[in-house]
Amino acid sequence: MDKKLQELEKQYMEVPIPKELDFVVESTLKQGRKKKRNRTPQWLLGTAAAAMLFTASLNVSPAMARTLSEIPVVGSVVKVLTWTEYEVAEDTYDANIKVPSIENLENQDLANALNEKYRAKGKALYDEFIAEVGDLKAQGGGHLGVDSGFEIKTDNDQILSIGRYVVNTVGSSSTVMEYDTIDKENEILITLPMLFKDQHYIEAISENIKEQMRTQIAESNGDKSYWVEGSGLADEDLMEGFTTIKSDQQFYISDKGKLVISFDKYEVAPGYMGVVEFEIPTDVLKEDLVSMKYIH
Amino acid sequence: MKTRNAFQHEEVFVQFIREQKERFYLLAYSYTKNEQDALDVVQDSIQKAMLSLDRLENVTYMKSWFYKIVVRTAIDFLRKHKRLQVTDDDTLQYLTPAQEDVYENVDLEHALDELPQMYREVVILHYFEDLKLADVANILDIKLSTAKSRLYKALKLLKIQLEDVKGETAHG
Repeated sequence: MDKKLQELEKQYMEVPIPKELDFVVESTLKQGRKKKRNRTPQWLLGTAAAAMLFTASLNVSPAMARTLSEIPVVGSVVKVLTWTEYEVAEDTYDANIKVPSIENLENQDLANALNEKYRAKGKALYDEFIAEVGDLKAQGGGHLGVDSGFEIKTDNDQILSIGRYVVNTVGSSSTVMEYDTIDKENEILITLPMLFKDQHYIEAISENIKEQMRTQIAESNGDKSYWVEGSGLADEDLMEGFTTIKSDQQFYISDKGKLVISFDKYEVAPGYMGVVEFEIPTDVLKEDLVSMKYIH
Repeated sequence: MKTRNAFQHEEVFVQFIREQKERFYLLAYSYTKNEQDALDVVQDSIQKAMLSLDRLENVTYMKSWFYKIVVRTAIDFLRKHKRLQVTDDDTLQYLTPAQEDVYENVDLEHALDELPQMYREVVILHYFEDLKLADVANILDIKLSTAKSRLYKALKLLKIQLEDVKGETAHG
């Protein structure tokens, strides 16, 4: 009897052990230990839940947001939140305008300036929309939509880049993107010209973008198209081809510290390309940069 | 208090896992019958255990506590993957033909596998993993009396099978 059990045990033990077992066990233990060390204490979980609730209520109720932002300690947790939302949802007219608000900047002037700008633009968009809807209704109706909001492009220790978009829909749609990039350490708004020693950057960036456009066109097998010289487009189609960026072209700084130049829909390419972005290799900019602090 | 438990237990736990990993794998394999799935079960079990290590009151319970996690994880796994369950025994045997030579008798080899899971797990835990029947009952979430009767039934089934085997060998 015992002998049989022994025999069975021997068989049980003779199932081959895969080589991967060591690796699986070790990596799981390592993972678990890491997790353990960073493990959130219970009270923090509660706080996190409260913070979520808090953010949610901020977004739901502008009144609450306003009240809370006046309490200094509570206000300082917040970075970018939706301040106000305009919404219109009628059969053929709809608007969804989200207005961001930057909080927790000690430089109140900067925060106020940006937030004022955001609010003014949001309000203007809404008013404009309502006015246009009024006109359309007077003329017997039509379709109109506006969708505006924001996305955080970069938010690290140094840089906060916010992109705000406006999509106008009248039959077809147009998209306009605007960025603000803030140096969080020094609390200043970064503009494109201030990153560079002189005006030469405009040429350097423009040339690089043209190059990128041509490469992309060549590599995409006809999927991509830009209005740029030397891309095989007939000259007459190039009436308003891309020649150079504006000195204050829309841009943001990516999380990796790369300069990204953004063009609105229709600005440099046909509509199907939408909003297009070009990451400029830092090598191209090295000579012109004031410092490698933001862009590296 | 609880975090201190976790801290104290962690070293012991890591060592315990490292030393006994093959045994956990075998146990997991006895449920999944599949190498990859058994590895998954081992991995999940360790993860679960590390997350609830602070709830283990006494290190001396670690063994049965962890076996319970493995068993539950394996059973959960089987439940979830019921329809997709892959039994690669054939592949395994095909890949390791030398092993068959070790056994004198193919029927004896499958005696354990042919036991229904509820009996097999009792035998494995009690005899092969040297756990007390009370611990086995705790791990499997059954009453001690149930564990006893299952073990009894298992032995009976095995004995019959083993006897059959013996009989066959005698005749052959």
